[in-house]
Amino acid sequence: MNIKTLLSYRGPFYIELISVFGSNVRSYTSEYSNANKKLFRIFIELAQNVSYYSEDFHLVNNESRIGVGELDLVEHESHFTFTTKNLVKKSDSKILIDRCNLINQSDQMELRQLKREQRLNSPGEKFGARIGLIQAVMLSQNKLQYNCEEINNEFAYLSLTVRIDKN
Amino acid sequence: MENISIKSSPETPYFPEVNFDSSTGICEIAGESYMEETYKFYLPLTTWIKEYISTIKKSIELNIKLIYLNTSSTKCILDILETLKDYEDDGGQVRVVWYYDKEDPDMIDEVEDFEAESGIKIELHELV
Repeated sequence: MNIKTLLSYRGPFYIELISVFGSNVRSYTSEYSNANKKLFRIFIELAQNVSYYSEDFHLVNNESRIGVGELDLVEHESHFTFTTKNLVKKSDSKILIDRCNLINQSDQMELRQLKREQRLNSPGEKFGARIGLIQAVMLSQNKLQYNCEEINNEFAYLSLTVRIDKN
Repeated sequence: MENISIKSSPETPYFPEVNFDSSTGICEIAGESYMEETYKFYLPLTTWIKEYISTIKKSIELNIKLIYLNTSSTKCILDILETLKDYEDDGGQVRVVWYYDKEDPDMIDEVEDFEAESGIKIELHELV
């Protein structure tokens, strides 16, 4: 089987769009019962990470911040890959890479513990629970692939890919 | 004390349906929860529960029938569970029931985490 792009988008991550794309993700993968629920949940977490944290963003009514970025959902022979890309501050990139490394070095039990601690200690409110990446890796049970490419002195482009096995 | 009733809509599937009844103390949250600014949606729900506990002071039952909630929503649900646990520790009568799809083991893990983090007993019932 050739690899097949199921969904590709670049622009602002409005909730209305995320919801429609999420519905598409469910229908495109409905024949894979194991992957179907996981893919939708990982999709929402990673898409909302872009929406909340991208340094390229739209301001709606001078209040709501809607992040701009990219997403790609690709079907392979035995799995799907879901990738998001968004702008981050260069000063934040090391923290984000360290976080990805910590997540990749942890097994399922350690991730579960990390998730519990992080959720209990997160400030909540507009910062959310800050456990989306942990949740995505726990659901996929595969390592996170990531890359941070410097754009200029101030910003970098962060790419995150999660693999979801079909069975 | 007024009830809370929020109906679900196909146009906004990221908002759950909510029914909080002050005459019975039965509260239900159902559907999916992955809206933006999650805390703005959940704040009135947490406030309602706190007011019920401090003014009506009767038994309260929380029925959760969420088939999906994003991680921001889990933080808000945890806040509600912690409020209920405090009420229970003060002598209040509390029941929490989580309705789950038997083909969704990830949700069962999530409920176990809620129990561990909040300290409150959560009954698991299969969704029918």
